[in-house]
Amino acid sequence: MKNDQQKVRNIGISAHIDSGKTTLTERILYYTDRIHAIHEVKGKDGVGATMDSMELERERGITIASAATYCQWRDHEINIIDTPGHVDFTIEVERSLRVLDGAVLVLCAVGGVQSQSITVDQQMKRYRVPCLAFINKCDRSGASPERVIEQLRSKLGHRAIPLQMAIGLEADFQGVVDLVAMKALYFEGEKGERVVEAPIPAALIEQAKGWREALIDAASLDSDELTEAILEGGELPEGVLIEAIRRATLARNLTPVLMGSAYKNRGVQPLLDAITRYLPCPADIRNEALDTAHEERPVVLTSRTTDPPVALAFKLEDGPYGQLTYIRVYQGVISKGQTLINARSGRKFKIGRVVRMHSDQMEDIEALEAGTIGALFGIECASGDTFVAPGLSLTMTSMFVPEPVISLSIMPQDNRSQIGMSKALSRFTKEDPTFKTFVDAETGETIIEGMGELHLEVYVERMRREYDCDVTTGQPRVAYRETITQRADFNYTHKKQTGGAGQFGRIAGYLEPLEDGDFEFVNAIVGGAIPTQFIPACEKGFRSCLAKGPRMEFPVTGVRVVIDDGASHAVDSSDMAFQAAARGAFREGYLRARPVIKEPIMKVVVETPTEFQGSVMGLLNQRRGMILGAQDEGPQCVIEAQTPLAEMFGFSTVLRSATQGKAQFTMEFALYRQVPQGLAEKIAEEMAAKKKRAA
Amino acid sequence: MKSKGLLPLFGGAAKVVFLNQWRGTMTSPDWDVASPLSRLGLEDANGIPEGGFGAVAAPAGVGKTALLVQLALHAMLKDEAVLHVSLQDPVQKIGLWYRELFQNLAGREALPRAGQVWERILPNRFIMSFQVEGFSVPRLEERISDLTAQNIFHPRLMIVDGLRFQPGIDPTLKDLKRYAEKQGLRVWFTVHVHRQDGDAHGLGPDGLNALLEMFSVILRLDTVGDEIKIRVEKGFPGGDAPAILSMDPTSLLLRAS
Repeated sequence: MKNDQQKVRNIGISAHIDSGKTTLTERILYYTDRIHAIHEVKGKDGVGATMDSMELERERGITIASAATYCQWRDHEINIIDTPGHVDFTIEVERSLRVLDGAVLVLCAVGGVQSQSITVDQQMKRYRVPCLAFINKCDRSGASPERVIEQLRSKLGHRAIPLQMAIGLEADFQGVVDLVAMKALYFEGEKGERVVEAPIPAALIEQAKGWREALIDAASLDSDELTEAILEGGELPEGVLIEAIRRATLARNLTPVLMGSAYKNRGVQPLLDAITRYLPCPADIRNEALDTAHEERPVVLTSRTTDPPVALAFKLEDGPYGQLTYIRVYQGVISKGQTLINARSGRKFKIGRVVRMHSDQMEDIEALEAGTIGALFGIECASGDTFVAPGLSLTMTSMFVPEPVISLSIMPQDNRSQIGMSKALSRFTKEDPTFKTFVDAETGETIIEGMGELHLEVYVERMRREYDCDVTTGQPRVAYRETITQRADFNYTHKKQTGGAGQFGRIAGYLEPLEDGDFEFVNAIVGGAIPTQFIPACEKGFRSCLAKGPRMEFPVTGVRVVIDDGASHAVDSSDMAFQAAARGAFREGYLRARPVIKEPIMKVVVETPTEFQGSVMGLLNQRRGMILGAQDEGPQCVIEAQTPLAEMFGFSTVLRSATQGKAQFTMEFALYRQVPQGLAEKIAEEMAAKKKRAA
Repeated sequence: MKSKGLLPLFGGAAKVVFLNQWRGTMTSPDWDVASPLSRLGLEDANGIPEGGFGAVAAPAGVGKTALLVQLALHAMLKDEAVLHVSLQDPVQKIGLWYRELFQNLAGREALPRAGQVWERILPNRFIMSFQVEGFSVPRLEERISDLTAQNIFHPRLMIVDGLRFQPGIDPTLKDLKRYAEKQGLRVWFTVHVHRQDGDAHGLGPDGLNALLEMFSVILRLDTVGDEIKIRVEKGFPGGDAPAILSMDPTSLLLRAS
């Protein structure tokens, strides 16, 4: 079994939007005989690229959900996850990185390292995913692989070392020089399917030798064998060099760089070779699970097929035949007819069908072994659940899930849509942990929450298309928070002693701002002024006030509650009484602690041609943005700003028209910051009006 | 889903308060951190006069940027607008320098409400990064006028980090001087000194000595054992400069030695 696992590669292809990763994946599938015709993104043939299986993705030319697909290359099995490029969908990217062993970072030879590549790279760092870089679009005018390599070093801090050199560039791009084998590679045939080896063109030999020296130098830092081979002199064995590059790549000490043009069918096969040579197999990666029976102690999974199975459901899809659950098996074998347990719910279930996915087509198989990616049918579960053999108490590490920053009310047009909407919402919330939904108790409206305008827009659109339900949407609403800005004392007595069982509790202490954290409760009572058994009730009472602030009814964060005195009654004090006293104390202290509203501030990064730098800065400034800096990069410049989310609605349209469509931007949540006084008053008025309407 | 921001929600009448102007709405910091330069006994309390040049000279990796970032942080705490121009590092990396040194400073002096103070002073800083080959004074002027014309940012102190003091730098410096004098800007430079020409009195590459008269203050950083010593090469009234400041090699914070 061990040998088989060494021929498995689970890789992701991540990159900036429009750097051509879907096109690249399409070529990979073509050369590995998974598809027999190449369709382009936004294809005129009405088919669209194979990996963009959702209708909406094809129409917009972007990849939203990561479809997993399987292919074979030179007796290796490669599982590819095509990941979305837009920052609003980063939970998809993060989830993919969790199950991957290696990644290919696709960069555009013209655009270079763009802001989204930086985000994706940070995510790769977080999960320590070894990666290769592929510089695509070398045939475009303005292509400069050397500049991109320099940016990989300076902007992302990679030790980026080219394994190839382009033969010609822009319209003259013909092929690549393989610096490991020191051969020129050309791609012939209608679809570039024939790789022809030839001697390196004489004009490039000297440069190629220099680049190869740099490659050997970089690789030798991690390999004694290579250093020895260099010292011995003579011909350097290719195998030793490949092994040294592989070892340095796995340790993330080196990022091999390849280049080509997927659209022109050049450089894809050598990339596949590099994936099998330099990216890790499942056994190279140390995977950990948490033992729930022992206070979530980390346990290293063995990746042996003989051990009890552990698998992670990383993606759900609603297909025509029911729910499809994509899983990655970390340990053991998962086969048809087997009984497993969902570690989250504790429920037992039996596996019906096991399939291997090729985008939206599938192939039935008997079993999935440790290290492989596949899908199960008809399993009731949520995304991120762990499946284990009965008797095991393991769960895969939970992923970091950010809190939503924007919400929107939705209303079905008719009864039929109502049914579709509830189906769609339950599906989406299972698929995407950053997408949340609830019914507003006051207005009765259904509210959806997510990570950005586009994020919610896409789900509304998917409801229309996939569930045939028409919904009207309200104004997007920003998720405000409340906090306090100064210390305030409270001393509150809750007393009801008029007939029947009495209630008595007095709590005294103070509230103060807490800089890092949402809530802290400090019990500073000495001498038993409040008996110990009622302290948890006090904390519960305070906590219950956090969901809705007494002033504006936004969730309260950043508060430390310290109680240092109080009183109780031998008969009338109870948990209930102290909870009520805590609520009263919170209200009393809170209004005196100068509460303020905080709003989500987004980190906005705009990439624009230099001539529009001034007007872009003006746009951001008008939107209450604080510009942190501007980076000149030759013809392009990158502007970084912090801007309130409330001001960013519709920004893409404004930016497009101000820059003739030449600028692009990404946006992600950065922090919460106090709303300026003038605006805070308006928000308060709006909330009051809303309350009045609801009443 | 079409929206024009939050303002229409409130009938479009909301008063817009710009982030870079709203610091007055926040609590004042109560921070009293003396400027490190005051300990050096320089002629000018601000280190250098308006329109003047200052330089921090040291070999690579000794702490030129760290020293200037601290000067900038002190200026920002006094609500002075600081423009940091870097010819070597990306915006994000410079941002990290500021953040880290601010945290170290807040930690060492046990200053209260560091988070709030940081938020308050952040609008006082603007970072510009250029590629060395793409840098020129007219280009810088154009960028700054983009900011000042739209009332986005009006720098008072400028830090130029990574300018190469090679032969031929003369016209660039003269242009900068003219611009600084016109705008009343105080400008600090980092000057990279090569280790091999570590003459105690020479500032490094030839040709720089000829430019000495342009600078009001020249500070020199030297590694002495485990310490980084700061010496005033020019700008001390008494002539011979006392070495009374040093930098902590771990936190890179300035301290009295």
